[in-house]
Amino acid sequence: MSAVADLDAVLAEAETAIAQAPNAQALAEVRAGFLGKKGSVAAVLRGIGALAPEERGPAGQAANQAKVQIEAWVDARKNGLAAAAESQSLADHHLDVTLPGAASRVGHLHPITQVERDMCAFFQGLGYSVEDGPEVESDWNNFGALNFPEDHPARDVQDTFFVKDSTNVLRTHTSPVQVRAMSQLEPPFRFIVPGRVYRYDLDPTHYPMFHQIEGFCVGENVSLGDLKGTLYAFARHLFGPQAELRFRAHFFPFTEPSAEMDVSWGEGWLEWGGCGMIHPRVLQNCGIDPDRWQGFAFGMALDRAAMIRSAIPNIQLLFDGDVRVLEQF
Amino acid sequence: MRVPLGWLSEWIDLPDSHEELAARLTSAGLEIEEVIEMGPDLSEIVVGHVVKREQHPDADKLSVCEVDVGQDENLTIVCGAPNVDSGQRVPVAMHGTTLPGGLKIKRSKLRGVKSNGMICSRRELELGDEHDGILVLDTDAAPGTPLPQVLPTGETVMDFEITPNRGDWVSMLGMAREVRANFGGEVRHPTTETKPSGSPTSDAIAIAIEEPDGCFRYTARAVRGVEVGPSPAWLVERLEAAGLRSIDNVVDVSNLVMLEFGQPIHAFDLATLQGTIRVRAATAGEALRTLDDQDRKLESEDLVIADDSGPIALAGVMGGLATEVTAKTRDVLIESAHFHPSRVRRTARRLGLHSDASYRFERGVDREGQARAADRAAHLLADLAGGTPTDGVVEARGADAPAGAPISLDPARVNRLLGTDLSESEIRDLLARVDIEAEPAGDELTCTTPSYRNDLHIPQDLIEEVARIYGYDEIEATLPGGAIQGTSLAPRKATVAAVKDSLVASGLTEVMTAPWVPDGEVDDLRLAPEDPRRQRVQLQNPIHAEFPGLRAQLVGSLLRVAQANLSRQADALRIFECCRVFLAGAATDLPTEPIQAALLFSTPREGQLWAGHEAPVFFEAKGAVERVLADRGLSPAFEAGSDQPFLHPGASGTFKAQGRVVAQVGELHPETARRFGIEPVVAVGVLDVDALDQIGAQAPQYTPVSRHPRVQRDLAVLLGVDVPAGDVLEAIRRKGGAHLHSARVFDRYEGKGVPEGKVSIAFRLVFQREDRTLTEPEVAKAVARVVEVLAKNFGGELR
Repeated sequence: MSAVADLDAVLAEAETAIAQAPNAQALAEVRAGFLGKKGSVAAVLRGIGALAPEERGPAGQAANQAKVQIEAWVDARKNGLAAAAESQSLADHHLDVTLPGAASRVGHLHPITQVERDMCAFFQGLGYSVEDGPEVESDWNNFGALNFPEDHPARDVQDTFFVKDSTNVLRTHTSPVQVRAMSQLEPPFRFIVPGRVYRYDLDPTHYPMFHQIEGFCVGENVSLGDLKGTLYAFARHLFGPQAELRFRAHFFPFTEPSAEMDVSWGEGWLEWGGCGMIHPRVLQNCGIDPDRWQGFAFGMALDRAAMIRSAIPNIQLLFDGDVRVLEQF
Repeated sequence: MRVPLGWLSEWIDLPDSHEELAARLTSAGLEIEEVIEMGPDLSEIVVGHVVKREQHPDADKLSVCEVDVGQDENLTIVCGAPNVDSGQRVPVAMHGTTLPGGLKIKRSKLRGVKSNGMICSRRELELGDEHDGILVLDTDAAPGTPLPQVLPTGETVMDFEITPNRGDWVSMLGMAREVRANFGGEVRHPTTETKPSGSPTSDAIAIAIEEPDGCFRYTARAVRGVEVGPSPAWLVERLEAAGLRSIDNVVDVSNLVMLEFGQPIHAFDLATLQGTIRVRAATAGEALRTLDDQDRKLESEDLVIADDSGPIALAGVMGGLATEVTAKTRDVLIESAHFHPSRVRRTARRLGLHSDASYRFERGVDREGQARAADRAAHLLADLAGGTPTDGVVEARGADAPAGAPISLDPARVNRLLGTDLSESEIRDLLARVDIEAEPAGDELTCTTPSYRNDLHIPQDLIEEVARIYGYDEIEATLPGGAIQGTSLAPRKATVAAVKDSLVASGLTEVMTAPWVPDGEVDDLRLAPEDPRRQRVQLQNPIHAEFPGLRAQLVGSLLRVAQANLSRQADALRIFECCRVFLAGAATDLPTEPIQAALLFSTPREGQLWAGHEAPVFFEAKGAVERVLADRGLSPAFEAGSDQPFLHPGASGTFKAQGRVVAQVGELHPETARRFGIEPVVAVGVLDVDALDQIGAQAPQYTPVSRHPRVQRDLAVLLGVDVPAGDVLEAIRRKGGAHLHSARVFDRYEGKGVPEGKVSIAFRLVFQREDRTLTEPEVAKAVARVVEVLAKNFGGELR
C-alpha cells in the first residue's frame, strides 16, 4: 500500500469523524487523533522516510495537503458547532416580557411647584428676578403701605386671618413682598413673586390657603401698554398662542388705574387676575419718587393655573396630600 | 346692586341689546354678577296666527279658530273670548304646555268640537288682571315664535358688583350717568316739585350739628297729614325688582329715593320728636332701642341723632324704635344727611349692623345731593300718601366735606402712564363724558370733578377715568424697555428647589398642607416642655377651632397626611413637604420663618414584584437625606442618635456639616406612631433648609480617573453585633493606604455558620494607582494593615 493510498483512507476517515464530532471538546480530540504528534497523519509522514527518494516529494506534498484539508474541516465544524450552540442558548433563554417594567420609582413635584417654576422661568427670561417674603406680615406691609386706609370698605373683601394679640396678619396677598423689595432697592427693577397667601374662605371653589404669583416692574416710562404686552406674552405662554385677554376697569387700593383681566377660555372668558399701575402713594410709602418713577403690578392665582393645566376640578385636591392624586402629575 | 333695566330706561335711553349694555358696563368696571328675569316663565308659549274664525255650531259664546303655530298643520282651537278674530297674532298654549299658574293644557272637546290648545288672556299668562278677552299681540312675528321674544314679560334685572371706591354707582342716577358716559344720551331726572303750603320747614323743626367732624350736612323737611298705608303696585314691584320688600308707603318712599339717588333717607314720626334735632357724639353709657327692637349700648365714638329725650337714631346706620313711623303717624320728618364715612363704618361694624344706608354712607354720597333727595321724598309723600310738605328744607352744616379741589393734569403724563398718544382735546372730551371739566392752564389741564365723585384726588385717578372711557382694550400692548438689573432667584428659593429635586430623585412625592395644626400635636410629637416649637403663632380667627395655631415644624402635618394615605390603603408611601414654618417671638414681632423639609417612607405592607431587595425604610430615608447632601457637594458627618423626641432612640441618626446639624433621620418613635395612628414602620427625615442654604452648595469637583487596572479584595469579617459597621468602614478607609480607591459594605450576614453574638460583614476594597499598575505585594501589604486594625480595634477576624 502506498503512502498516498494511506492518506486517502485517513482523509476519508477524518471527514466522517469531524462531521460526527458532537461538540467542541470531541472535535478537539478528533483533531488531535489526526493532526497530533501521535496522529494518523504524523504516522503517514513518518512512513515517508522509508520511501524511494523520487516518491518522497509527492508523498510529502500529499501529506501537507491532507493536513490543510483536515484543518479546514475542523474549522468549518467548529463554526458549525458554535452557531448551533448559540441558537440552542437563544432557544433556551426565555423571559416573560409581558411582566411590567421595573423602572426606578420616581417622585413627583407638586403641581403647584411645577407651575410656579414654569412661570418664574418665563419671567426670568423677560429679565425679572424672583423674590420671596414672609407669610406672617405686619398690618403696614399687608395693608397700610399698599394704600388700604383704616376703616375703609376695601379691607372687607380681604377676609383676613389675624394673629392673636397682635396687629400681624397672615398675608392676604403677595403684595407685601412688593413693599419690602421696593423699600430696599432703587428703580429700575422688575420682580416676580410666587407665594402662599391666606384668606378666610372655605367653600368648594375656595381654600383658606392658596398661591399667588405677582409681578411688578418700575422704570421711568413703564406704561399700562407695557403691562398689557407683558400679560399678553404671559397668557400666551400659559394658555397657547391663540389666547386673548380682556381688561375690565376695577378698583384696587394699590394701583391706579386698575383693571381685572379675563383670558379667553373655550367659548367664554375666565377671570384671571388683577393688575394696574402702581399707586403713587405706594411708591411714596416705599421711598420712591412717584414723579420720576412709575410702574405696573399684576397678580393672579397660581393654583388656578395648575388646576386649568391639569383639569383638576377642586382646589382642595391640591392640599389633601392624597398620593393617588399627587402621583398623577 | 340690582338694577331693573325697565326702571333704568326711564332715566336714560338704553342700547337695544342687553349684551352690548352688559359688555360695555363690564369693561367700564361694573362687573355683572347675575342677570335675573323677573315675571312669569312664558318660554313654552308661542305666537299663533288666527287664520280663520267661525261660530261654534252649538254654543253662542264660543268661536272655533284655525290657528297657525308654525307647524305643518294648523291647530283647531275653541276659544271663548269675545275679541278673538281672524288675522290676529295671539299667545297660544299648545297641548302639553304648563301655564305660569300651574295649569297643564291638554287636548279636549268643547261642546263636541275638538280643541288642541288655548289662546291666552293676560291673566292666564300672569301678565296682569285683564281677563275680558284674549291678549292680542302687536307683532308680525312668525307663527311659532316663543312669546318672550316678542313680548317683554317682566323686568330684566342686572345685578352689578360695585367696587368699594364707587359710592356714586349705588343708585339709578349713578347707573344712568355711567350709561351716558359709555353710550351718550341725556339723563332724565325725576321730578322733585311740590306745591307751596305757606308753612316753612323751619317752623316745624330746628337742627344743630354739635359734632361737625362727623356730619357735613343735615337736611330735613316735614310732610304733614300723611296717610300711612300700602304702596301702589308699581312701587311694590319696583322695590321687589331692586331686592327690597315693601313695608308701607312712607318707608317705601324713603327706600325708593335712596335707590334713585343713592342718598339714604330716614323718616321720623314728627310728633314723637322733642325739641331741637342734634347731631352729636353719643356719651358712653347711653342706649338706644333701634328699629329692629334691639337695645344698643352706645359708645362715645358713635354718632347719634338726638332730641331733648336723648338719642333717637344711630346716624347713617339705623333709626330708633321710639320715633319710628307707624300706622298712626300723621306728620313725617324726612332726614337727608351727609355723615362721615368712617364714623358710620365704625359704628356699623362694632354693632354688626350693616344696612343699605350704612353701605352707601361708607362708600360716600353726593355732597350736594341732600336737599334734592329730601325734596324728592316730599314730592312722593304728597303724591302717594296725601301729605302736605312744608316749604323748603332746613339745613345745618358741619365741617366741609372733603374732596372737590381742582386737580392739575399734564396730558403728557397721561400718555406716559398709559402708553397712548392722546391729544389734549381727546383727553378733555373723554373726561367730559364723566362730568370732569378740564380747562387748559399752560401745559396742564385744571380739572374740576363733580360733587358726586369722592374717589378722585390725584392725577392718576383722572388718568384711570381717561383709560376707562377710552377703553383698556384700545391701548396698544408693548413690552417694557430700559435697564434690567439681573434675574436672580431669591436667596433661599434656589436651595428649596435643589432640595425638592433631590428628594424627587429619591422617589418622594411632594405634598402641600395648610400651616395650621391642632394644639395636641406638640404632645403627640413628645416635644419637651421647654422646646421652643411648642410656642406657636396663634390665630385670632382660625378656620377650624381645633386647628388654632401655626406649625413650628413640619413633621406633625406630614404624619397626618401619611395616616390619611395609609388609611386609604396607600402602600410604600414616600412623601415630603418643604416650606416655611413659624417660630413665635414676642407677640407683636413678626415670627421667624425658617424653611424646613420633612420626608417620610413607610414600609411596604404587601408583596412587591422583585421583592426582597429593598432596604429597611430607615436606610431609604437615610439614603434620601444623603442624596440631598451629596447633591450639594457636602460630605457630612453622621452620628448615631438624634435629639428629636419623635424619633426612635435606637434607630435614628444626625447629619452634621461644618459643625451644624443639617438633617436628622430615624424610625418614628412608637409612641408618636401610636398617637398618630400609624401602623407600619415609618422612617422620617427632617432637613434644615436654612442651614443648607447658609452652608451653600459646592459644585462637583473633578477627580482624576486612572488608566491602570483596579485590584479588588473582598474581606468577610466576623464582628460583634454591637460593633458599628460605619466605624469599621471608617477605619478601613483610614488604614487602607494611598492607593485604596474605595471601600464599601457589600454584605451583612447573621445566622447559620456565624457564632452567636457575631455578625459577618463583607467589605469590598478596591485599589488603584494613577501612575502605574499596582503590584501584588503592594496590595497584600495594604490588606494586611487593614486586617490588623480590624483585629486590634474591633476584635474582627477574617472568616
